[in-house]
Amino acid sequence: MRRKDGRGHSWTDGGVERAVIRIVRRLSPGFARKRITKKTRLHQDLGWDEYYALRVVKPIRATLHEELEDRAVLDLRTVGDLVACVWNAMEVPA
Amino acid sequence: MKAAAGTCLLLMLAAGGAPAQQPDSLGSWELLVGHSYSSARALMQPATLTLEKVQGSPLYSVLDVGALVRGSLAARSWIEMGLRARAGSARPESQQVYGAMARVYRELDPVLVAVGGEYQADGGFDVHSLDATAELTPLGGLPGLGTWVSPAVHLRWRPWIGAAVGDGVRPYARLSADWVQGRLEAGIEETAWLVSGSGRSFVKGDVSVQLVGGVFVTASGELGRSPPTWERSGRFGLGLGFRLARSH
Repeated sequence: MRRKDGRGHSWTDGGVERAVIRIVRRLSPGFARKRITKKTRLHQDLGWDEYYALRVVKPIRATLHEELEDRAVLDLRTVGDLVACVWNAMEVPA
Repeated sequence: MKAAAGTCLLLMLAAGGAPAQQPDSLGSWELLVGHSYSSARALMQPATLTLEKVQGSPLYSVLDVGALVRGSLAARSWIEMGLRARAGSARPESQQVYGAMARVYRELDPVLVAVGGEYQADGGFDVHSLDATAELTPLGGLPGLGTWVSPAVHLRWRPWIGAAVGDGVRPYARLSADWVQGRLEAGIEETAWLVSGSGRSFVKGDVSVQLVGGVFVTASGELGRSPPTWERSGRFGLGLGFRLARSH
């Protein structure tokens, strides 16, 4: 299944997942690549506090061309939630 | 001298959090309950109701609770409105605090800015203050700022600087730090104000050991001068706690 980002680029769900995990990994220095999966909890496993999660907004806008609302980001629990948030924001092709 | 045969029971109640939302969260609201609304750190601490029994005296209570309602304003901003109480029969009225506030956040990566207004009164409502506040914190960028120092060192910190404008201008700085290791959690938060050319500070901290699920043994303490009366106060509590809150 494919969806389009805000600039019309086509993405698969796997591609979105890999891109999001790359962003999360860049914001979590020291964590091994294999330790970050969709099940990884942003707060308990990576130690992000509430406001640190807002740092994903800018790179997601730059890479995946989607504009996430801050309030939605504040409520994210896992990397999988973030992947779903981005995927659900993308346009479903007609 | 009163015998130091006291027993403390901490009942910690906290609730908060909503499931992850869809990107369009405008119009949705969330209720958070915690130790205070003064900061994210305080909000994520459990609300506390401490019952203290000292030999020969009645049962005393010490209450610290804050509640926030949070909602979206726009993609990059949200609003919080809150109530808090620092009260109980064990605290003299002058050391009790009741407050209400409204605060608007605007994310301007790499910083987060918050502006708002806060009303505070002492227990007898003899001393009031109504302040406008503006404060900011960097979202991250330094080791441990907002996230663990490393996968092995579960320590993080967050600074805020700001100013309150009410009966004069009162610059302040706040620093909070958390440490988590297995079942052990510890946190400390210090706020320092510049009031009429002299400094005031207030520090509070807690250490909790998780027994099972949301049940903890918790020690908490506070010391210093806080608005609106700036009266020196200090207390220490120890007991069992219960928490139902999302962890930050």
